[in-house]
Amino acid sequence: MNKLKGAEAIIEVVKLYNKKVIVKTRNEKKYRIKSLDEKLRSFRTRREARIILKLNNSNVKTPNVLALGKYTIIMSFVEGKLMRDLPEKEEFMKPIGDEVKKMHLSGIIHGDLTPANIIINENIPFIIDFGLAEITNNLEEKAIDLLLFKRSVKKKSFDIFLSSYLEKNPDGKKVISKLKDVELRGRYNVRTLT
Amino acid sequence: MAVIGIESSAHTFGVGIIENGKVLANVKSMYKIGNKGMIPIEVSEHHIQNAGSTIKLALETARIKARDLEGVGYTKGPGLGPCLQVGQLSAKTLAHRLKIPIVPVNHGVAHVEITKHTQKMKDPLALYVSGGNSQILVLDENTRKYKIMGETFDMGIGNAIDNLARSLGLEHAWGSDVERLAKEGSYIEMPYTVKGMDFSFTGLLTNAVKKLETEKKEDVCYSFQETAFSMLCEATERGLLLSNKNELCACGGVAQNTKLAKMLEEVASENGARFARAPNEFNADNGAMIALVAENNIKNKKYEKLENCDIKQKYRIDEVVVYE
Repeated sequence: MNKLKGAEAIIEVVKLYNKKVIVKTRNEKKYRIKSLDEKLRSFRTRREARIILKLNNSNVKTPNVLALGKYTIIMSFVEGKLMRDLPEKEEFMKPIGDEVKKMHLSGIIHGDLTPANIIINENIPFIIDFGLAEITNNLEEKAIDLLLFKRSVKKKSFDIFLSSYLEKNPDGKKVISKLKDVELRGRYNVRTLT
Repeated sequence: MAVIGIESSAHTFGVGIIENGKVLANVKSMYKIGNKGMIPIEVSEHHIQNAGSTIKLALETARIKARDLEGVGYTKGPGLGPCLQVGQLSAKTLAHRLKIPIVPVNHGVAHVEITKHTQKMKDPLALYVSGGNSQILVLDENTRKYKIMGETFDMGIGNAIDNLARSLGLEHAWGSDVERLAKEGSYIEMPYTVKGMDFSFTGLLTNAVKKLETEKKEDVCYSFQETAFSMLCEATERGLLLSNKNELCACGGVAQNTKLAKMLEEVASENGARFARAPNEFNADNGAMIALVAENNIKNKKYEKLENCDIKQKYRIDEVVVYE
């Protein structure tokens, strides 16, 4: 992987003084008028960087922000493999539950919490891609994070994940009851993206 | 096989006749919307008054006799209840009198299918944009049902545009008036709401209507369109990349908007996909698309007993199996 095109940004792996880094650039969208395009791209770049910094302060395992431009974030490269490309192991689930709990307690939702956005490095999970993340304490948004994850792993895995998510989590019960609400309602806008 | 399709989900009473995929007739009678939107019971009155003559006109245009018809389709939903009922009753009457198979059709499926049919597309990602709906759709090969990848959280884009048009105080308020005015405007900032592949228009609409008090209406129309369409394009692009499709189509009433088409064209070419939309007569509500789906279903021997032919105002597109 050297260059990867997403819907919003281009991800490049670059070597800076012998160290691999990720360069994430939100490229221009020609269909949008320039002023709207620039406003959106710079706002989202700043927001993503702010979210990652906030997560770093809460000790959530994510890449670190090394430098920030108007449309570009340079991040540390996380070794390991995408959880999506590995066989599902129950031992991953407890530490993932811990990370997601820390993330939610620091007031951040991921927006696309699936195995495609988790890197496993020597059995330690790192959460990546905060392009759709938001700073919010909305319980429903948190429940949707859990629901997306629930839909992409086996039931037993999710149960292990959930018990570590709930451990010493003051919001835990409220999020779970919201999760049940959302599932009962069958909210249509919740789908597995991978 | 000549099949007649009747569409009456909203302001249009449309009748189309299709024979082996070829459109023989596609005629309609439209309720004239003034500046107060659609009042269901008034629209259904219009449909009742015009149903017979529109069906007759379709048969004349197609140069066939009623007894040559081999099937009938009607819009089961989604749509306004009183309006749907008129189409349902017309279709049931035809089916009963001519003793031909009858097919209840999902309006959204019909929009996508007529676009695929006329534009010779195999497996596109479809952006379905109309008054009541705004959805990003792909066909699931296994279930043969459309999967909704993304959609509006609140109102359809067409409804939002029409609302703005009415707020402009024009006598006949149509989305096309907004498009016309937008050509002369320049950009002012408005709220932009996309979440993954979903989007929301109410906040934008409220903001635009409020701005009409202080800003030039051309500027408001321009900025509203640019913002709303950019939202749709962003969500569509994300869907295109996730689903890996190499065809993109737009369908539904708002697909007639040339500005939106141009922007989607850009999204498609940026991602190596082909973009297409059907001619306007098929993007507006029409009977031909209903006939097309009915014909495909009848060929697959999928039709409904007369007594089971109901309507469903909130008929979701992902409930329906699609036949080819």
